[in-house]
Amino acid sequence: MPAAAHPHVIGLDACDHPVGGSVGGKALGLGFLLRQGLRVPPGFVVTTEAYRECLARSGLATRISRELDAAGSLRARQRASARIRALFESEPPAPDVLDEVRAAYHALGGPDAPVAVRSSATTEDTAEASFAGQLDSYLWVQGADEVARHVVRCWGSLFTPQAISYRAHLGIAPHGLAMAVVVQRMVPAEAAGVMLTIDPVTGDRSQIVIEAAFGLGVAVVDGEVTPDRFCVDKVTGELRSATIARKHLAHHFDPDAGGVGATAVPAHLQAQPCLTQTEVGRIALLGKQVERAMGGRAQDIEWAVAPAGGDGEREVLLLQTRPETVWSRRTPAPIAPPGLPLMGRLVEALHQPVNLDDRGPSTLGS
Amino acid sequence: MTSTDVSVTGSRFPSPFEVPTPPGAEGWQRMYPWYLQFSQENREFEDSVLWFQDGMHHPEVEFPFDTITHECWRLALGQYNSRVFAVPPAYGIEQRILNGYLYITPIPVTDEQWMGERVAAFTRRAGYYYQNWDRLFEQWKTKMTGLIGELKAVDVPALPRLDDEEVVTRALGTTRGYRLLEAYDHTLENLFLAWQYHFEMLNLGYAAYLNLFRFARQAFPGIRDETLAQMVAGADILFFRPDDELKRLAQLALELGVADQIRAGGRPEATVEALRATERGCEWVQAMEAVKDPWFHFSNGAGFYHHHRSWIDDLTIPWAALTGYIDRLERGERLDRPRAEVLERRERLTAEYRELLATDEDRTTFDQNIGLARTVATYIEDHNFYVEHWHHTIWWNKIREFGDRLVEGGWLDERDDMFYLNRWELGQALYELVACWATGAPSRGPHYWKAEVADRRRIVTALRAQPPAPALGPVPEEISEPFTVMLWGITTERVRQWLGAAAAGGEDELRGVAGSPGQVEGRARVILAASQLGEVEQGEILICPITAPSWGPVFGKIGAAVSDIGGIMSHAAIVSREFGLPAVVGTGSGTKRVRTGDRVRVDGDTGVVTILERAGRA
Repeated sequence: MPAAAHPHVIGLDACDHPVGGSVGGKALGLGFLLRQGLRVPPGFVVTTEAYRECLARSGLATRISRELDAAGSLRARQRASARIRALFESEPPAPDVLDEVRAAYHALGGPDAPVAVRSSATTEDTAEASFAGQLDSYLWVQGADEVARHVVRCWGSLFTPQAISYRAHLGIAPHGLAMAVVVQRMVPAEAAGVMLTIDPVTGDRSQIVIEAAFGLGVAVVDGEVTPDRFCVDKVTGELRSATIARKHLAHHFDPDAGGVGATAVPAHLQAQPCLTQTEVGRIALLGKQVERAMGGRAQDIEWAVAPAGGDGEREVLLLQTRPETVWSRRTPAPIAPPGLPLMGRLVEALHQPVNLDDRGPSTLGS
Repeated sequence: MTSTDVSVTGSRFPSPFEVPTPPGAEGWQRMYPWYLQFSQENREFEDSVLWFQDGMHHPEVEFPFDTITHECWRLALGQYNSRVFAVPPAYGIEQRILNGYLYITPIPVTDEQWMGERVAAFTRRAGYYYQNWDRLFEQWKTKMTGLIGELKAVDVPALPRLDDEEVVTRALGTTRGYRLLEAYDHTLENLFLAWQYHFEMLNLGYAAYLNLFRFARQAFPGIRDETLAQMVAGADILFFRPDDELKRLAQLALELGVADQIRAGGRPEATVEALRATERGCEWVQAMEAVKDPWFHFSNGAGFYHHHRSWIDDLTIPWAALTGYIDRLERGERLDRPRAEVLERRERLTAEYRELLATDEDRTTFDQNIGLARTVATYIEDHNFYVEHWHHTIWWNKIREFGDRLVEGGWLDERDDMFYLNRWELGQALYELVACWATGAPSRGPHYWKAEVADRRRIVTALRAQPPAPALGPVPEEISEPFTVMLWGITTERVRQWLGAAAAGGEDELRGVAGSPGQVEGRARVILAASQLGEVEQGEILICPITAPSWGPVFGKIGAAVSDIGGIMSHAAIVSREFGLPAVVGTGSGTKRVRTGDRVRVDGDTGVVTILERAGRA
């Protein structure tokens, strides 16, 4: 058994700063949400400790280093990437790691519970943010062996050609790398999407923008459909605008294919909003709560709406939160010229009067 | 009623010199003072600027006498901007009358160097008022109530065949005739002084609002004006007091067991007399009498016209509200305004926006800006009650006494005919009345003025048949005069909308300001004056030029409100928010384009009113 200080598997609810380095940003965020009492699908993290042990156990680390050292050109990086990922697939984790993953998986919902297996990177800030999209995620994975196999595939995604190039560009040494993997109960989403607790166009911190489509969130995240767009005033909770798009496809679990697939949305539903106004309000309120809990930093949140109980009730679940990166990275400049006293500001205002009345609905987004 | 003779082309409204006189209104110019008219001598200036019809304060064809209110503010607003506080970019607001309607244009400061020099004076002088605001406002109230007291005390003596004995026994040295002329001058001066006070602090108050709004919009581009207004507004606005007093009287009526008598119907004045017959009725009447001054000095209009009567002049409106409140209290409803909630919300909103600001410097700026806006808010919210309601109710009644003297002298048939004379003409007429009382000779006046009043009555009717163009003259690149923007809500965008509407014509969509959120569909009821309020039926959509505080009770009945004039701070918007009704304000032409019975949709989120179905075409 592993020492308690270096577990291979940690429940999401236990993901907190003391273990932060070994569970990655995504898991930390989810753990934080859970401890706030927010609805997050249950799950666990395969820690960086498991990753490191696996690398150490079979000499994988050395072999990876050797491949990377030889990979100077783009071509060479592509070949190295393929070989490294094959190495991961051929070297299974130690039996005790596998046992822990299996046990944790069974505890989630039995031998066939569908789960999402998602990378939770641990590299520092900016790199982490930009990495996020490049690391693998797998939806609707079923069965303990399949889960273990996908955990390993996630590890391998540290070595996509893009990731290799990106690290080379930033001068990040590969030997310090590690990855945690989140395994989370799959949400049978009827609608899902993303939310920014800031207006991405104007940087207005008082606005929340929600983008949503039918089915799993992948359609929105990958930009496969034009989502419905809802703008909500963060302070007053008012729905400021709702732009309903024609959403031609949706991702759902496809039992025949044994995985997630895109299907056409029936024509009469395509132009219908995928959320009720009440749900939009609930999602926005969750966004406000999450942002507060995260120390007031604007958040980039993934969420899903899924059936809850019978009679058509639906609930909102949070799937991920991370700091918004574009506006948050800017150094904010004070609005009024520094040192300009109140009377000076009044004079300025008189020279450029704003009309107090003419503003229609918010023109958030584009 | 169309205004097809008035052409709108390209980026200009018709020149004031091109607008034809409506048929039958020939000679209208003689009703008004020469200085308020467009003239060939001054054409170069008059043709070079954009003039707006001041539909916010003076939407109707002017009775000759009633120009006095805007002549008062022409003076008061202008002098404080131009010569006292030296508002750097702005002089006053100039006025003209065309076809009986008031048009205004802001006068900007164009000399850059002078504008720069004005900054120091503004900073010093406006700064003094801001620093001492609460004390100066207290002082202001004393001045204003003193002025109201003086007005009440003005005696308008009748002219009997023989003057009083005391002229001799007290050796007065003056006669009733002299005192009548003196009283007229004194009454006019009293109005001018009320308006001096009105603008003593007003524009400084609006400048403080402007400063906050501008900052808040830079920090939060998506913030709603309505939300900002809620962060500034106090919970104890004088405008709510008259209504609050009615609620108290409703409660008292139930406690004293006189509610049914009050609800019995008939003229309120007759009901009051009947109530006096019993001890409990008497107690209730006394309670009402005790709050009448000042709280029933509450105009059904803006107070700018002689026919804007107040509760005290016509108890019908407060009575309708009173009986409604009695019904609601009987049903167990609570009528208290959610004062604590309003304040709690104001503090919560303010704290949340403050927290969302990016820097500590911004928080300091925000605190200062909102602090100043709240300091001035009490004046902005309350000055109207003192001036346009309380003072003007008394003033219009006082000035009518001079009409009584002319009727007694055989000059006029009815006292209100006096309003067909402008203030200079009325002064002349009174002089002549007194002079002939003195000489004993017959005057030309009665013949001249009875005929003239009849003719002017015809002219005013003809002028009313032609709605005014919303604006005259060329449209500038940008409208940036701060008070036009703030007080009248006239902006570059708004003027372009007018141009567009005039060019398109007949569209079924009106755009205005989103005054209160929500959407409602319903039957339209166009109400042009307070006297028509009784026509409003439950759930109808009120379409009106502008609402006044005393219209409050009708908001309990309507489904939504749409006004031609006004912004987020206008009465219609504020009361609609309080009642949770959608409102679109400042549509410019709602009363002209919507007809009673039309089916309309009001979208208080976007500020759009759509005519869904025309009346009679269902």
